[in-house]
Amino acid sequence: MKLAQLLALPATLISAVLAIPEYSEHLHLRPLPNGYLYAGFNFTASTSLSAYESQHFRYFPRSLGQILQHSDTRELHLRFALGRWDDESWGSRPRDGKREGGTGVEIWSWLDSGGGKPAVEERWSSLVNSLSGLFCASLNFIDGTKTTRPVLSFEPEGTHRGGGNGMELLHGTLPHEVVCTENLTPFLKLLPCKGKAGISSLLDGHKVFDANWQTMSIDVRPICGLGGDCRLEIQQTVDIVLDIKRSMRPRNDPIPRPRPVEELECDESKSYHASDTCYPKRKEGEMAWSLSKIFGTPVRGSCHVADGDESHDISLEVSPDRAVEVSHGGSNDTLASHEQNQLVRTMRLPDSARQHTDISLPQHIFQDSPHQNRPTLYASRQITGCGQERGGMHTVLHNPHTHQQRIVYLESLPWFLRPYMHTLKVLTHPTNSHDRPTIPLKPDQMYYTPALDRKRGTHLELLLTIPAQSTVELTYDFDKAILRYTEYPPDANRGFDVAPAIIRVLPSTHNTHNTSTAGNEIGQDSYFRTTSLLLPLPTPDFSMPYNVIILTSTVIALGFGSIFNLLVRRFVLAEEVPRSAVAVRVAGVLGKVRGVVGSLKGRLRGGGQGRGGGGVAVGVNGVAAEGDGGMNGVSSVVESRKER
Amino acid sequence: MALSARLLTLRNSPVLLKLPPYLSALCIVIGIAWFFILPLNEYSRQTYVSENAILPGQVHTYFGGSEHNVFRAYRQEVYQLSQFSETDRLAALEKVLREIGLKVAAQPYHFTVAGEEVKGTNVYGVLQGPRADATEAMVLMAAWRNFEGEINYSGLALALTLARYFKRWSIWSKDIILLIPADSTYGPEAWVSAYHSTSPDITATRNVSSLPIKAGALQATVALDYPVGPWGHRFDKLDILYDGINGALPNLDLLNTAVAIASGQMGIGCTIHGMLSHSDSYRDRLTTLAKGVVTQSAGQATGPHSAFVPYHVDAITLKTVGDGWHDEMSLGRTTESLFRSINNLLEHLHQSFFFYILLNANRFASIGNYLPAAMLLAGSFTVTALALWVQSGQVAVGPATKMEGTEKNGAQPELEVVKIGDAVALVPAATTKPAEREMLLPAAVVLAVHLASFLPLYSLNSLHRQHLPTALQTTIATSLLLPALASTALTRRSQISTQQIQIMQSFSLLLLGTSLATLATLNFSLAFVVGVLASPLSFVRPLPRGTTTGFPAVLGRVGREYRYALQVAMNLIATLLYAVASPPVVLYALCWYFSQDVGGLLLEMAKGWSVQGVYTSFVIWAVWWPAWVVGGIALCRGGGER
Repeated sequence: MKLAQLLALPATLISAVLAIPEYSEHLHLRPLPNGYLYAGFNFTASTSLSAYESQHFRYFPRSLGQILQHSDTRELHLRFALGRWDDESWGSRPRDGKREGGTGVEIWSWLDSGGGKPAVEERWSSLVNSLSGLFCASLNFIDGTKTTRPVLSFEPEGTHRGGGNGMELLHGTLPHEVVCTENLTPFLKLLPCKGKAGISSLLDGHKVFDANWQTMSIDVRPICGLGGDCRLEIQQTVDIVLDIKRSMRPRNDPIPRPRPVEELECDESKSYHASDTCYPKRKEGEMAWSLSKIFGTPVRGSCHVADGDESHDISLEVSPDRAVEVSHGGSNDTLASHEQNQLVRTMRLPDSARQHTDISLPQHIFQDSPHQNRPTLYASRQITGCGQERGGMHTVLHNPHTHQQRIVYLESLPWFLRPYMHTLKVLTHPTNSHDRPTIPLKPDQMYYTPALDRKRGTHLELLLTIPAQSTVELTYDFDKAILRYTEYPPDANRGFDVAPAIIRVLPSTHNTHNTSTAGNEIGQDSYFRTTSLLLPLPTPDFSMPYNVIILTSTVIALGFGSIFNLLVRRFVLAEEVPRSAVAVRVAGVLGKVRGVVGSLKGRLRGGGQGRGGGGVAVGVNGVAAEGDGGMNGVSSVVESRKER
Repeated sequence: MALSARLLTLRNSPVLLKLPPYLSALCIVIGIAWFFILPLNEYSRQTYVSENAILPGQVHTYFGGSEHNVFRAYRQEVYQLSQFSETDRLAALEKVLREIGLKVAAQPYHFTVAGEEVKGTNVYGVLQGPRADATEAMVLMAAWRNFEGEINYSGLALALTLARYFKRWSIWSKDIILLIPADSTYGPEAWVSAYHSTSPDITATRNVSSLPIKAGALQATVALDYPVGPWGHRFDKLDILYDGINGALPNLDLLNTAVAIASGQMGIGCTIHGMLSHSDSYRDRLTTLAKGVVTQSAGQATGPHSAFVPYHVDAITLKTVGDGWHDEMSLGRTTESLFRSINNLLEHLHQSFFFYILLNANRFASIGNYLPAAMLLAGSFTVTALALWVQSGQVAVGPATKMEGTEKNGAQPELEVVKIGDAVALVPAATTKPAEREMLLPAAVVLAVHLASFLPLYSLNSLHRQHLPTALQTTIATSLLLPALASTALTRRSQISTQQIQIMQSFSLLLLGTSLATLATLNFSLAFVVGVLASPLSFVRPLPRGTTTGFPAVLGRVGREYRYALQVAMNLIATLLYAVASPPVVLYALCWYFSQDVGGLLLEMAKGWSVQGVYTSFVIWAVWWPAWVVGGIALCRGGGER
């Protein structure tokens, strides 16, 4: 609940005071259960639209600005993400999941739609290729097959002229991309202090990428005030969750070797406890930590570059009875709670560039584990089935709340995964019942763009209403396509990654009785992403003895077959082939029938009209055939056929 | 064309027509002999790690020190849990896993096999690799009870200690699943099938609930089997179990890695198939080979890992054997190093062999070397089938039927004058002429026998366990009577001709040959064993009855009065031998040889068939048995008169 409010806090404070400063930065720290620490970095810079159009850049990064201008981008969202957010123990996601990306790289942006579809695609291609160079990421691999045009999942965050007409949304993902230091460095280069001073000095690649979960985002959007003065804002965020214990390991001994026996904390209540038998005690509370130990360095100086930036640099969300020490240079201080919110302590870095700031907290034993918000939704998605021919997708969405929720479920699948939409099943059942999901759930809306081989991926978007306290299972079957052998990437064939599904929880429109539990979600979207998936495809492998066997068997089969034919088969002329007994018998029966029919016809004609020699002749013929029967009948039929 | 012309002249060559039985016998002899040369150095190879990414034993292992104290405590804890009731035990296990920091879930399952209820609950925990992306996982398995039914105290305690230790590392590129199935056969099967099933269907015999937590594609599974209680026991060697269901094998690289780490890095000797003392002599190699072939041909599970292999998840079980000086920490470090190696994998294990027969922990025969043995055996049936087919297309011309005892005089071929235009030639008269084949009846008989095979298949796999031995006895009785009855019926009712008998046998052997050849590429051992057991079928011909054709010439000197009695005696012996070679009798004989209870064996087969999809009984009843019955029909029909 609080996180969103907290993040909004500095912004509300500032906007109350004056106009938005051109640059501000903020770090939010919050310990999570089981010894984890959430650190959310936010860097916001803005420039007036007029300055941007005249290419006058101050805190807004020029390199990015020029790319956006060149590709006529109205709004840009770029995400680099790694790891998993542990919903069960960490609770709801920071920033409502809006600054979060799926594993790998994700980009979506609104482009000027002038010039029709080819022009937009041209712009999109130029945007991703330029960003690829800027961020050292393989964004250039986002081509038509990895691009979708979602309808319901995203809405522009900025204020756009013309109410959002004349622009088009394109969305691309690269689930296989491994986010690394090479992406962080250009990210920091966009900041005014370039990671040298201020909170960005904490962002060291070793620590950021040792996190259990981390996501970097860049969001560019225009915002217009009431007076009509428009600004272009860039928000850069880095959200990480660090394992406190792992991060605090000294640099010279990073290996988690077993601790000496004396350091083990044993549960002495066990009956078998002895000097050589130690049942490890459950970790309780939170160990002592400090910024400098976790990030390896204290905050170096500050980055107060813009005028009018009076905001707090660091906020810390811990229980009010916890002692927090701040050291500036040499002097130590205690950080007190914020007046309005007892859970939050804020501080502003000293303006001096030389001073180092550190925050340290002593060890803390909780009486009761800190309350966590329940996430809006739990989601998991898996590929089922085995073998290389087909499989199934299985998504489980679980609504823990006592009110129903409307969600948009977006999947963009690569073309070589061919879903069968007739097998799409959405079933729901109450969470606490052990019955199988039996009640089918009808999607409110569904957008589906089928894939085209090697041209376009599948785009599936569902608008679902998830009943209160229930679980929804979404399944469909798919085929795995066989790729051409040149289409396999040259690297180790681990399988192909399938992008995570994106789930947007729409704001609840009905303000029901239980606003207390869902209070903060009302009126706000939140986003979730499932984990990415690995899709093993049939792989050509020409090196195995099995292929040798197959080849030799084929050769032997061909050679053996022809030789055996020559040895065994009887060669006769076509005329010599005797008629098979069955055919003769069938022909005999046919002849009889024909004879009967013919005689009947003859009788009809002869009796009814009494004229027509042909008819009589046929009749005679038929009678004769009937009389002879058997083989003769056949021969006569054959003869009569020949005559005709 | 020259070749085809030459071949055409060969068509009626009497040598060629007499060749097939010898050829077929030769195939069988070579096929069996081939098996015995496999242990030689020239036909087997030293194992080697093929996948470069594995780097076995290249990492320093840190498991040890104070972890030993933790291990002892967990072993005590597991021992205490074994005194609890099942529900309490599961709850306590879940609590321990949760304390370690894993995501915990449980999966109940329920099978009904041969009237027996199998129930249990698997507990498992997922260690989410801190920097992994949830797309791949490896499984560390410690069944509550091992394959022999003992409680796996130390194995489970070690798995728990390892999970706690692994939790501290951030190097895992894949999630680690710690799986604690309730037993070693049905638990893993239920878990792995639920992990991969598209839609978990509940049937009368199978009720496996779906898994609440999953972790991407499984890359490899290592199971620990160390059933030693809190009193401790040091082991001598590691027995590596690798056979999967239906003879599917894990990639040889996984096995090699385990052997390389255990023996190379830790100094623990490795054994295969429980051969504790292996001197690497020909005899020991052959014994290992034979044990491997027997286990593989049975197709049954050999350990908790077996259920994973059919799902293309490479899996092995490390089982401690013997008395020695290695302790649980050595096994722990082996497992740690093994997981580090699997963690290194960039792609699914594929580089090395999937088809191999081990002669030793570090010596194997690859598919190219051993496959000919089974293929030759399968080929022997095909050769006979083709010969019968050719024979069925020819009938002897009138006077060519020679009198007995005139072979030497008859060597003079009869000649015929052929006149084409002005040219006149004297050519040997044709002794045979082409005949029309009547195939409907033979085909119908073969089809009917194959359909009938579903009766023993069904009854031996679906009846209650009490009735299984009775069902087998009934099957023996009917199998032995069926050929005689069927041939009498066919002779009396349909007047089945010798030609039709030949065609019928040809069809049946052709089917047997192709089935075995196909099977050899999937499960070499099963194809080989069935091939050897069914090899007499190639030589079954109608018994001589009332005539003297085919009667040994040597016996011709014995008085004519004894001839009839002798013939009857010979026929009896042949029939008896044939009866002994029948599938149900062979099953009985195998039980007797391995001193196993028939009911127990049948129950295992029924369980394997209905729970794990073992197709051995299908091969026995629907491939071998019909071929045997058709052979029996031919045998009983008797030769001589048409």
